[in-house]
This record gives sequence, C-alpha cells and structure tokens, in this order.
Amino acid sequence: MRLERARELAAALDLKTDRELTALRLGPPNQVLTQIRAYLQRRSDEKATRNNPYELLRIRKENGFAVLLLGPTIDRGSSSQHFHLDSGARLSLGLTLREVERGSQVVSYRYHFVFPDGQSPQYLRFDLLDAPHADSLAEPRCHLHPGIDDVRIPFSVHNPIEILDRIFFVLERATHESK
Amino acid sequence: MSEFSTEPFFEIARRLEIRGETGWVAVLTPATDSSASLDQLQTELQSVLQKPARVIQLETSTFEELREALHQPDGDAVILSGGTGLTLEKWRSLDIMRSALERKGPVILWLSPGDVAHLIEHAPNIRSFIGGSIFLAGPDRGIMTETERQERLKELSQHFGFSGAEAVRKAQARELPHEPEFVEWLVLLGRGDLL
Repeated sequence: MRLERARELAAALDLKTDRELTALRLGPPNQVLTQIRAYLQRRSDEKATRNNPYELLRIRKENGFAVLLLGPTIDRGSSSQHFHLDSGARLSLGLTLREVERGSQVVSYRYHFVFPDGQSPQYLRFDLLDAPHADSLAEPRCHLHPGIDDVRIPFSVHNPIEILDRIFFVLERATHESK
Repeated sequence: MSEFSTEPFFEIARRLEIRGETGWVAVLTPATDSSASLDQLQTELQSVLQKPARVIQLETSTFEELREALHQPDGDAVILSGGTGLTLEKWRSLDIMRSALERKGPVILWLSPGDVAHLIEHAPNIRSFIGGSIFLAGPDRGIMTETERQERLKELSQHFGFSGAEAVRKAQARELPHEPEFVEWLVLLGRGDLL
C-alpha cells in the first residue's frame, strides 16, 4: 500500500520536473557554450590548478539539437580532458539542448564529479533524463547518484550554471577543506 | 591584412579582461555571416567581462549621439560598428573627437578591411589608442570537429557494446534508455528527432 503511494508521489515529482523544464528557457546553444566556458575560465583563474576551458569544452550542433561536452563520456580515470580542481577532484559533463526560436531548451545533462582517490563516496553525478522512466520511484527524471550507479536520489531541475555553482562552491569547497 | 593575428572572440575578450577596465581593440569583420559574428562577439564579451556589451553604429551616429552613447553609461563594453564602410570624412571627424571617445569601459571597433586601412592611414589619434591590437576574427575552437565526433561515437559504441545503427534501431523501438549518454549518442548521429 505504502509502495503504491510512494510511486504516485514519484510520478507527481516527475510531472513537476517536466513543468520546470518547460519553463526553463536558455539562450541559443552558442551563447550557453560561451557562458559555461567563461564561468569555467573564472573558476580556473581563481584556483591554483590550471585548466583551459577553451580547449576542453566542445559543442556540436546537429539537426536542431546541440551537445556540449567536457571530458570523456565514460569516466575511466583521470585524463587531460577533465576539468581538474585543487582538491584533486575532477569534473566531466554533457549537456544536450534543443534549439527553439531565439533560444534553447534543456533536454538532458550529466555532471560527473569524482572526488580525490580514497574519498567516500567516490563520486557524485547529477543526471537529467530526456524523458520520464517507467519507474519514477527507482529512477526519477532528475536525480543524483551518490557514488552508487543503481541509487538515484531525486534532485530538482537546475540551470546548467547553477549546477556548476553547487559543484564549485559546495562539493569542491568541502572536499578541499577536508584535506 | 595578413599582418594581423587571427584570434577567436574568446581570446580577444580575455585580452580585454586582463587589461582591466580600459582597453581598445579593432576586429576585422569576417567576409561572410558578419551579423551572426557580431552577435557572437557581443555574447563573448558579456560572458567573459561580466558586463553588458552594446553595439553602436558609427555610420548613422552623429558626433553628439556618439559622445552621449559612449558615456551614458561609460563602464560597459561598447562595440563601435563601421557597418559596410565609413567615409574618409567620417574617419577624420572621429579622429578629431578622440578625447571625447575616451571612456572607462572597453571599446571594440568592428571594421571592414577597408575601414581598417582608413583607420591606419587617416585616424592616427584613434590608432594610438589601439596600438597593435588589431585582430582578424578567428574561428571558435570550441566547435567539435568531425574527427572528434567520430571518436565520441566510437567510444560510445565500444562502451555499450552495440553500433550507432543499433542505437538508432533501439530508439525507434523505444528500447533505448533515457540516460544522457544515449541522448548525446543520438544527437551526435544526427538523430535528435528520435528523442
């Protein structure tokens, strides 16, 4: 009985996510690229660990859609394609946009933050799916992996830059201070 | 114009950022898609400098209009666009009013190759503001190349153990998970229509 109620609430949360996504309108994909790149450059300028977002962040536009990619799609360990942070953590991301009149809408994203070696959890990953999963309870459309692939904790829809705020000003700060 | 270095807008904006508040540069308009490039330059300036960037048309602005526009406000970034080209008379009058053009925020002259030649030959005062900072608008290196796209597709295929064609078939049969990696895969294959 309670399981059914939990599923109803999860489905309602996915509907709310859908409404929030519909309301979230960004600039054209190239403008989003420019904004994220400038954001990452500022964070890099503030840190001791040097990164070159201009070389790391890539955009590809195909038939009305755009993907922005930084780092490998599948994290298999530290690489020169990652954005590296002072704590020893690393970041990769993928953001898919749908072009609409004079702007774009968020289709999906993944922000994969890997903590330095030896830390638990090993990683946090913010995911947005392009559509609701059949089982909204097990897999909310917008979720956070707390270092376990099969565990997905509901998370609210964020502007792509706001997720970076959480990563740099919360995760990285806490990681750096705990060292 | 080959004596000028080619720089993407991001690098031009970074140079202005590093110089601090004040700075003058000139950028040659590309031969094609000049309007879209101007929009991109404006966006890049706003993102990197974290301040508004305005475009002012030199050709249609009177002396008084230009002076007022440059100083109200005077701390944002201003792109002075030469449009399709300015007359020699216009260049000479702009040069005479150089001191009235001085402002706190950066100024970017967006000029055709012909106007850059006029600037160099007929506007020595403005040229002294700019010095050697004359750039050709270069391509944005953030755009993924075809080789990079193929590498991404190969990486996805190897990791998930099936081909791009199979990914498309699964998407058509609604068997492809909604995870972001699969979304990216379809878009990189040019099949965003299946989302």
